Amino acid sequence: MSDPQTLNAFSKAVLGLNGASTDGLVVHLGCQLAKQNSAELVAVHVIEVDWSHELSDEMSAENEAASAILDLAEGIAEHYRVKLSGDLLQAREVAAALVDEAVELQADAIIVGLPYRKRFGGDFEIGETIPYVFQNAPCQVIVAREPVAVANIAEPATGRRQELAMGAR
Amino acid sequence: MAMKPWLHGRKPGDRRVRVKRPHAQFFRYAGPGTLVARESASAPRTASGRFVARARQLLFGRPLSIHEEITERLSKVKALAIFSSDAISSSAYATEEILRVLVLAGAGALLLSLPIAAAIALLLAIVAISYRQEIHAYPSGGGDYAVARANLPAIFGLVVAAALLVDYTMTVAVSTSSAVEQVISAMPGLLDIRIEIGAVAILVIMLGNLRGLRESGNIFAVPTYLFAGMTLLIIVVGVFRIVVLGESQPPPTPLPGQPDPLQAVGFLLLIHAFASGSVALTGTEAIANGVPAFKPPESRNAATTLTVMAILLGVLFVGLTFVADSFGVVPVDEPKVRTVISQIAATIFGNDTITFYLYQGFTALILFLAANTSFNAFPRLAAILARDGYMPRQFSFRGDRLAFTSGIVILSIGAIALIVAFGGITTALIPLYSVGVFIAFSIGQTGMVRHWLAERSPGWRRRLTINGFGAVLTSIVFVVVLVAKAPSSLLVALIIPILIAMMLFINRQYRASAANLEVRDDAVIPPPRREERVIVPVPGITRAVVRAVNVGRSIAPDVRAVLISDEPEEAAELRERWERQLPDVPLVIVESPYRALVGPMLAYLDVLDRTWPEDKERPVTFVVIPEYVARRWWERLLYNQSANRLRRALIGRPRTVVVNVPYRRDDGEQPVQRAADGV
Repeated sequence: MSDPQTLNAFSKAVLGLNGASTDGLVVHLGCQLAKQNSAELVAVHVIEVDWSHELSDEMSAENEAASAILDLAEGIAEHYRVKLSGDLLQAREVAAALVDEAVELQADAIIVGLPYRKRFGGDFEIGETIPYVFQNAPCQVIVAREPVAVANIAEPATGRRQELAMGAR
Repeated sequence: MAMKPWLHGRKPGDRRVRVKRPHAQFFRYAGPGTLVARESASAPRTASGRFVARARQLLFGRPLSIHEEITERLSKVKALAIFSSDAISSSAYATEEILRVLVLAGAGALLLSLPIAAAIALLLAIVAISYRQEIHAYPSGGGDYAVARANLPAIFGLVVAAALLVDYTMTVAVSTSSAVEQVISAMPGLLDIRIEIGAVAILVIMLGNLRGLRESGNIFAVPTYLFAGMTLLIIVVGVFRIVVLGESQPPPTPLPGQPDPLQAVGFLLLIHAFASGSVALTGTEAIANGVPAFKPPESRNAATTLTVMAILLGVLFVGLTFVADSFGVVPVDEPKVRTVISQIAATIFGNDTITFYLYQGFTALILFLAANTSFNAFPRLAAILARDGYMPRQFSFRGDRLAFTSGIVILSIGAIALIVAFGGITTALIPLYSVGVFIAFSIGQTGMVRHWLAERSPGWRRRLTINGFGAVLTSIVFVVVLVAKAPSSLLVALIIPILIAMMLFINRQYRASAANLEVRDDAVIPPPRREERVIVPVPGITRAVVRAVNVGRSIAPDVRAVLISDEPEEAAELRERWERQLPDVPLVIVESPYRALVGPMLAYLDVLDRTWPEDKERPVTFVVIPEYVARRWWERLLYNQSANRLRRALIGRPRTVVVNVPYRRDDGEQPVQRAADGV
């Protein structure tokens, strides 16, 4: 079994941000872990470009919003005094671009958020990105789970609401 | 946004493009319509600017962001060290000040030192109890200034502020001088350079504070607790030897100094000794000023810390006085300086022992730290006054390291001036000390009386009585200190009204300018009604002039060029060329036989104003000045001297706007730009 002390240790981590409610969770978690490890963070936002556009087309509106997402992440990191840089990408597949960027940056962790959907009794929106990252990332994957609505918790919550799922290394 | 080339992924077909974010180098979004400047946005862009910035960084450290401000809340243990170093350190010289007065009346009078110290300790207890109430009533801190501002006419707040500013400056001068004397007591060879040591010490503290030296708990805690601990040890050992072993020594004969056989142990002498010893109370107000710095519950923790500080100070002060009295210690200045506390330490630890030198070191250190507390208090008070409009606004600006630079520098200059003026001799400075702090005590407690009268919360009568008693007592002591320490103390009594007058003057100026600049909250600003015209002073036809004319044309249709010339032939040639190359812009030639440039230009503008129809509102005149921007600093000496003179002359001219149009040498090397500019 892995040593729990080293489970979350990394020197460089990629934070996958998508402008959703989990972004804050991902950045805060990343900063807390990076502070413990004196690590460096790279916040990555991938704009998914559909096939009606060239991959290198200027996506002005999306870029503006995406840039704001990265800048807000940098603002949070400044409060933690953690080194964080922003990386804005355009790609056809978000998950592949995220993993490829982590490989290129030689990151040893990818942190992504898992949103919780309250509708229809409540469920996690696992989507396609997280499974792809789990299967293809050559480094550890940390998933920050969005808090589950209290009414939907089967057993009384005694531990942290925010839980970490450890992926394959 | 710009794109980089495609990047290929690990799997076939996986491609991505990295998008450049040009703003990211200098700014980041903080929300809709809000950008936050990064450190790189403030970085100098010229070589000389970078050199200066590098030098500043070496001296003061890298610039700090406001997010890096230390907002640590203090535990009681740390707060006691931080806020009490000023008060506790005064026990190092308060006993000596009493003995310096009593020694004048001979050996018999020295026995009175203990009752006088006890009376001062009683006064300390009353002041501390009064301040405890202030802490609970004003948990947001601010001390006597805040109390006076809230409860008394504005002038009282200014009196407190002025008194505290003087007192903080005195704290630096007195603490540093006393610290240097402790060093000299251990190393008498340094006597001749005491002023230099004091000045350098203040400069070092100043530099530390400009670098953003904070009241870091550990820096303060170690020397403060070591000094307090070793002094308590001295007192315990001293009391044991005096009471249990029956040891005692008579004062030296003859007594040092110049005892006056005709000096009677009268009321005036006692009052004088009491006034001199009351310096022990300086610094008591510090905790009330900094209540928000405590951990919650702030008020309760601050009040507890104040009580502990008062008890500790009282024990140290009375204990040292008792030991000094029993061992016949009196201050010695000749042939070498030996402070009372150094003699007590030598008596208990032995002369020239390591413990003795250590103790002297800790005493000097706590005195330097006491000086440092004023480097926190003075700039903050000055910043509050600046925000309230009573001091120049520069005092509220924080430098690269988040320190109030102006306040720190002014305090250092003031303290060094005092040390130089009084030869770095503590006892010469003491008469000026503590006058200010008793003014602050008195007004603060009076403000508290008004506070309880207005609030009438449960138990208000008891609280009012305590603060009222404190106000009366500290007022009496203020008069006593002022009279007993005259004429030196009158200098402070003179400086305080001057400071108040200065603050009122500054406030009046700011209020007047604010009234001039005010835009009513309900006003809807209409578009400009005044007509606009443009004057372009030209020396000839150059690219810089053409650019200025084009900028002028973009401001208003009424553009005219003006040539001030003392060469009629050259002017005629220019006119011919001007009308050929710039036919749409009229050129006015003003011949200046007396070769003046600025005067005729101003006169021309005046004439234009006078010829404007009286029934129409006067226009706004834009004076568009072409300016050649040199690449190197030494080149700047060669150009734009006339333009600079004209610009200076136009400052403050009514309804006149000066526009500089720079033309850089590099601009001319861009053909597209030239075409766009019509050059």
